[in-house]
Amino acid sequence: MTAIAFEAHSTRARRRRIAGVVYRDLAAMRRSPIRVFEILFWPVIELVVWGYVTLFLQANKVPFVVSMLLGAVLLWQVLHRASNEVAIGFLEDVWSRNLINLHVTPVTPGEYVTGLILFSLIKIAGGLAVMVTLAYVLYGFGLFSVGIGLIPFMAVLLVLGWALALVAISSVLRFGEGAQVIAWSLVFVFQPVAGVFYPVSVLPEALQWLASAVPASHVFEGMRAVLGGAPVPWDTLALAAGLDVVYVAVALWLYTATLRHARSKGRLSRFGE
Amino acid sequence: MAILEAQSLTKRFGPVQAVDGVDLTVGEGEITGLLGPNGAGKSTTLHMLLGLVTPDSGRVSMFGLDLQRHRTEVLSRVNFSASYLGLPGVLHVREVLHSFARLYGLRDPRKRVAEVVELLEIGPLLKRRTSDLSSGQHTRVQLAKALLNDPELLVLDEPTAALDPDAGERIRNLLVSVARETGTALLITSHNMLEVERMCDTIHFLSAGRIVASGSAAELAAHFGVVDLEEVFLKVAREGVPA
Repeated sequence: MTAIAFEAHSTRARRRRIAGVVYRDLAAMRRSPIRVFEILFWPVIELVVWGYVTLFLQANKVPFVVSMLLGAVLLWQVLHRASNEVAIGFLEDVWSRNLINLHVTPVTPGEYVTGLILFSLIKIAGGLAVMVTLAYVLYGFGLFSVGIGLIPFMAVLLVLGWALALVAISSVLRFGEGAQVIAWSLVFVFQPVAGVFYPVSVLPEALQWLASAVPASHVFEGMRAVLGGAPVPWDTLALAAGLDVVYVAVALWLYTATLRHARSKGRLSRFGE
Repeated sequence: MAILEAQSLTKRFGPVQAVDGVDLTVGEGEITGLLGPNGAGKSTTLHMLLGLVTPDSGRVSMFGLDLQRHRTEVLSRVNFSASYLGLPGVLHVREVLHSFARLYGLRDPRKRVAEVVELLEIGPLLKRRTSDLSSGQHTRVQLAKALLNDPELLVLDEPTAALDPDAGERIRNLLVSVARETGTALLITSHNMLEVERMCDTIHFLSAGRIVASGSAAELAAHFGVVDLEEVFLKVAREGVPA
């Protein structure tokens, strides 16, 4: 053991290595104003467009529409950013041919992903703060009107987003850089059955069954119920959390299996070429 | 004491037998060269030693620890630099070094970064983006990164490929002095025969995934009945290995 480093398996070494991933991504964000702009641009555009749609619908006497649609836009952003930010953090290492440098460090796959997740939390918190403020200033909608349920709603969506990011990362590890489109689009595969902007009950019966297996659908249904005056549906949220556990377990298995496969087939080496 | 022991490493990619029964031992402070024509299996061998590629069979152990089972501990004592690797392009050199110092779990990243910056004479580059560096500067930063954790084994794939003769000579001298003074073992691939001849204590020639000859530069030249390593290389690459 080199004296200048903490013992490799110590908690301090693990913390330091995770901090290295976060430090690197924070520095990259600081050096790239376009990245900060990108974090805010699309969420704000989406908020403005949907905000005025809701005002139009409200003018036509559609009840509850402002809070429900704006709440949906804001919570959708939590899921969308959780998935994209982690996947993009990984892709930036691919784009800069830095992946091999990372894989010859003592950083474990778990520490690497933890670092990406922590950094995504920072970006999501920043982006969400701006959106929540804008929603309040422009439309008088306070996200906190969802109440205590907001915490589990967001937690379920964050965890689901991270699980989807792991699937996207696994796809790139398995199929190469060409599969990066999955990182951008995977979350949208879930959007139709997640009931983001409409109740799951409007879906055909088969899709309703599918929706019941998507944690996000329980969150958006729950949000609409709470904004309609009902109590927080803890039982449904517990089901969503249980589904999250299954999604994360599958995503972790996929990630470790594809990493093992990439090492076995020499694909990991090719990320340095 | 052996820092690195690789036994019977094999790797096949589809129809290609990339590495075929390679045995390799590197001792403390020893400088070992891995030579061979393109496609001989040098990079695949290095990548197996670093855990980037899983061998089909065989075993890699470092510091007496099995690489597969003790990956984190082993990799914290090893480092790697290659001319073909990139670094996060938007980051300043200082930020790259600080992030890798943390990734290696260093106790005092600031102090160690200052030390390698002085050693590699890259102080003027610290506030430059890595994407703005010349290839020679990039190589020096990669080497600084590779020395951050004061590695006991430093694996170098074409370490001076992008450097002019003067810069190359200075880097070679630096690497040799690091090996001699700190006991760091070096494992090097290079197509620069003069470099290998000057630096390496032991040289292994790879051809078609096998080590076909080993020894010092003088021993290899004598073995093949030629005057220098360049001629050994040409003989092995063009004529194969005499039985």
